[in-house]
Amino acid sequence: MRGAREPGRTVSLSRTEVRQIPGAFGDPFRAVEIMPGVTPIVSGLPFFFVRGAPPGNVGYYLDGVRIPLLFHVGAGPSVVHPGLVQRVDLYPGGYPARFGRFSGGIVSGETAAPLDRPHGEYNLRLFDAGAMVETPFGPKNRGSVLLGGRYSYTAFLLTQIASDTLLDYWDYQGRATYDLTPDDQISVFAFGSYDYLGQRTATQTITLFGTEFHRVDLRYDRKLGDRGTMRVAVTTGFDRSRAQEDRYVRDRVLGARTELSYYAGPRVLLRAGTDLQVDSYDVQVVSGTLAPSVARVASFFPSRTDLAFGTRADAVIAVAKGFEVTPGARVDLFASDGATALGVDPRLAMRTEITPSVRVLSAMGIAHQPPSFVVPVPGFQPGGLRGGLQKAYQTALGIEADLFEAITGTATVFHNAFYDMSDPLGTSPPQLSGCAPGTFPTDTLAGDRTRTSGGFGGGGGGGATCGIPRFPPGTIGPDRSGGGQQGADSRSTQTAANAFEVRTRGEAIGLELFVKKKLTSRLGGFLSYTLSRSTRTYEGRSYIATFDRTHVLNTALAFDLGKNWRAGTRFTFYTGLPKAPDPTDDATRLQPFYRVDLRLEKRWQLSKTAWISGVAEWLNATLTKEAIATTCTLGGCQAQLIGPVTIPSVGVEGGF
Amino acid sequence: MRVCRFIVVSLALGAGLLGAGCGSAVTAPPAPPPCEDACKDGVALKALRETMKLAFNLTLQGKPVGEHDETTPCPLGGSARVFGSATSNALQGATEVKLTYVLAECRYLFKDDDAEDNYAMMISGTMTQEGILAVQPSATSALVMKSESMRLLGTVYDPPLEYAADCPIELGQNGNKLTGTICGREAFSDL
Repeated sequence: MRGAREPGRTVSLSRTEVRQIPGAFGDPFRAVEIMPGVTPIVSGLPFFFVRGAPPGNVGYYLDGVRIPLLFHVGAGPSVVHPGLVQRVDLYPGGYPARFGRFSGGIVSGETAAPLDRPHGEYNLRLFDAGAMVETPFGPKNRGSVLLGGRYSYTAFLLTQIASDTLLDYWDYQGRATYDLTPDDQISVFAFGSYDYLGQRTATQTITLFGTEFHRVDLRYDRKLGDRGTMRVAVTTGFDRSRAQEDRYVRDRVLGARTELSYYAGPRVLLRAGTDLQVDSYDVQVVSGTLAPSVARVASFFPSRTDLAFGTRADAVIAVAKGFEVTPGARVDLFASDGATALGVDPRLAMRTEITPSVRVLSAMGIAHQPPSFVVPVPGFQPGGLRGGLQKAYQTALGIEADLFEAITGTATVFHNAFYDMSDPLGTSPPQLSGCAPGTFPTDTLAGDRTRTSGGFGGGGGGGATCGIPRFPPGTIGPDRSGGGQQGADSRSTQTAANAFEVRTRGEAIGLELFVKKKLTSRLGGFLSYTLSRSTRTYEGRSYIATFDRTHVLNTALAFDLGKNWRAGTRFTFYTGLPKAPDPTDDATRLQPFYRVDLRLEKRWQLSKTAWISGVAEWLNATLTKEAIATTCTLGGCQAQLIGPVTIPSVGVEGGF
Repeated sequence: MRVCRFIVVSLALGAGLLGAGCGSAVTAPPAPPPCEDACKDGVALKALRETMKLAFNLTLQGKPVGEHDETTPCPLGGSARVFGSATSNALQGATEVKLTYVLAECRYLFKDDDAEDNYAMMISGTMTQEGILAVQPSATSALVMKSESMRLLGTVYDPPLEYAADCPIELGQNGNKLTGTICGREAFSDL
């Protein structure tokens, strides 16, 4: 069963297939959002829940190197040029022992191996341009050099329409390999990404937010005859997130890892490895009085040095013809700001061939993770292991079948249980914005709070205070002018800070279906559907997670129209978010969302290997707005809509 | 906008942390700008209002609504007497007050990294206060305060500057903004 799909992995799409998915803009990492088990937060935003696990609990890897960020700012593309990526896999749970330190899912990208001829890809679109070239060198093409990157001229475009906003991003990749002998190879892979959001004033440019990361991975690979491979690698890196006045959080990364894959016998593949990572966090700050909530959260981010060391092993054992079992385990030691913790993660996967075209796959495992931030942001890793490690028990059982006419289908049921999870997004119960009619005391006059609430919430009152006494009735309230000698807190910051500190128990259960006919076929397509329920339990109270969506459906068709014309359309539908209790409406969820994406390509084959395409693509061609909350006024309550988040793109792509 | 706002707020919290005094690599603050008379009056105004706030919270906060006459020692010496009436609307988070504060060499100080938040003051005199004290953000404070004669003596700002006033004071508070006059001079401050 060499090369067969691993049980803990969800569907895998090749680069050529991903190019045909409307709305993915040819980006393999963007294709993750169509995979079963993935629940979007908001359409177009590259943050998602995976089988109930929040975005901060999903790990990103490229060639085994952990990266802090997968996508550029906003609805931007991934941070790696698509031409370099051979495959992207999503491991939503019960993943192989080589992955750890995340209690949600794993998104793992693999770069394509060097070719024995010069080759490259380029693209020019409305908002960015990118290129990647690689060439062999040396006797018998023993070496190769690759250079790639992408640059966005969004800043220039925005300057033309909104002179005070600056949005900029770029990324780069470089790789060099050299075969010392037929069995020994050394290589270096460097890549990085930069994003910047700023505001131009009459006298200066103010940094609103900026992130960047850089990695250099130096590797030695050795083939162990025809029985296996071994890799020893050292990684250095630099992460930084910036805000105004040159304030920043910086992480200097140093890591080392070993990987071994070895056939100990005709039926046993051993896989083992170790990895060590040292993160030196430097929080560059200015002094000042903080709002109490911000001060509370600030204490989670001291300057410090974190260490994580892990060792793991598993064995893929072909017990009998058609039955394969993979027991494994990993152990991780975490140290941060004087605290230490140990995570022991057993894993077990099985694959049983019922008939030559039907297989049953199961995966289960335990995963530990240090406390995490809301969404992945370079350098923002809470320190001190306060609250202990997050823990997840992940189980899944699925059936995979080769159906007729090259159609494959999978059906998987899963159950994830999370303990001590940090999920600020999922634990903030839905709230009304404003006071619903009847909930504000009708015998009182509301105050004029224009410009007085200060902070992120603006003047928003928030439904939670409507009709709820602020202090015991019949008593004299406090004088809280100025917030008690500290910076004033808005309710939004209080809510965010409270949610950040909360540790909850979570559970997710669901069914995933995926049916695919190769998208590069004359008529190809896929259907991806997830039926799930995600809940949280906190202080003895259980409730549906804030970002639970009962149904998530993605389906696409790609047609060969002849004469090298290809067209594609994709339909996305998902259930609305849980809704805050609203006396004017019995609905328990916001309205559902759907969108249609379109793609049209004309390709010219210039030679045996060279080609060029004109591509028009449109994410959310239906211009659908999305409901994300409920707003109430004295006139009633109605859904708050955002968008439409829509991205039209016209461009040229080519390769040789 | 709750979803986006939450993400924005969370990221902003993160960004806010970058301004937090929580790390070892603290940049040296630049020298504070000079504090002229208006600046000193502003700090004094804040000192007076915060001393009154302390006196209120020490004496009347949490008591049943109605008439009261309470006296409390001040933290660094002296005393504060608060008397008058207070009613409340707990749902709205508002307390309506009609009070008189009698400060007798009431000493209070506050230290902070922000130069304009520093003071060490001894306050004597009688001040009336009328209006709404609000638990923000459910409502907003709106107050009028007056004194025929109030004596303030001490230091304001950082580095400390001598301050002395003995004269009428009129003061208004709208939310967290203070405006008024000290000895006829216009003064303002944010709480």
